Amino acid sequence: MILEWIRFAIAAVLAILGLCSFGSAVLGAYRFGFVLNRMHAAGIGDTAGIFLMIASLAVARGLHMDTLKLVVLVFFLWFTSPVSTHFLGQVEFYTNPLLGRHVKQADLPGQTGEDQTKGEGDGAD
Amino acid sequence: MTVEQAYQILYGGVLIVLILLIGAMVIRSIIGPRSTDRIVSVNMLGTMTICSIAVLSVLLDEGYLADVAMIYAMISFVAVLMMASMFVPSKPKAPVLDRDKDHEAAAEGESGGEQK
Repeated sequence: MILEWIRFAIAAVLAILGLCSFGSAVLGAYRFGFVLNRMHAAGIGDTAGIFLMIASLAVARGLHMDTLKLVVLVFFLWFTSPVSTHFLGQVEFYTNPLLGRHVKQADLPGQTGEDQTKGEGDGAD
Repeated sequence: MTVEQAYQILYGGVLIVLILLIGAMVIRSIIGPRSTDRIVSVNMLGTMTICSIAVLSVLLDEGYLADVAMIYAMISFVAVLMMASMFVPSKPKAPVLDRDKDHEAAAEGESGGEQK
């Protein structure tokens, strides 16, 4: 019986940490002023938040087939979240005319930065 | 109080907080000034929806809801990619920035999220 309560305590701590990750992601989405910063906040929720929450559910569920499904779900989200974030960053880079207000010019590929090869940014497909 | 009741209370509270966060992200996706802000908000909203479906699968002890969460993750990923691909030009070129002008404008006015 006491082991069940210890398992519940571990699940509760992991769930609260996951909610804190999601809360910080939403807070960052409201407080950051630029979309690339908001993507950083969204990445916290996409990786740490979903991992902690699914870990809590796996601890609560125990060894079961559904636990395996939830773990596969976490790995799927870990693979797809960087892809969509990279693609959204590409969209912002090519479509925002006021990008220089937020990004230093030396950081941009294809611009005048010394450590960047010329025309690196426009090599996509 | 038994352990099962404690789990019900815990995951019920988690679901309520997730609903509040999803509502906050819906408002963020409405007020986002550019289209990429909205797509980022929809991406976060999808992640929280997947999480709430996973919580429901454990709370209701229904195994098929985990499959629903996986399908939702795939559809959310494809939806974000399609929404983003509508805005990428077919032959993209790196933007030519007038950096000095932009920095003067940023120094005069606060460069928050007011861009068009």
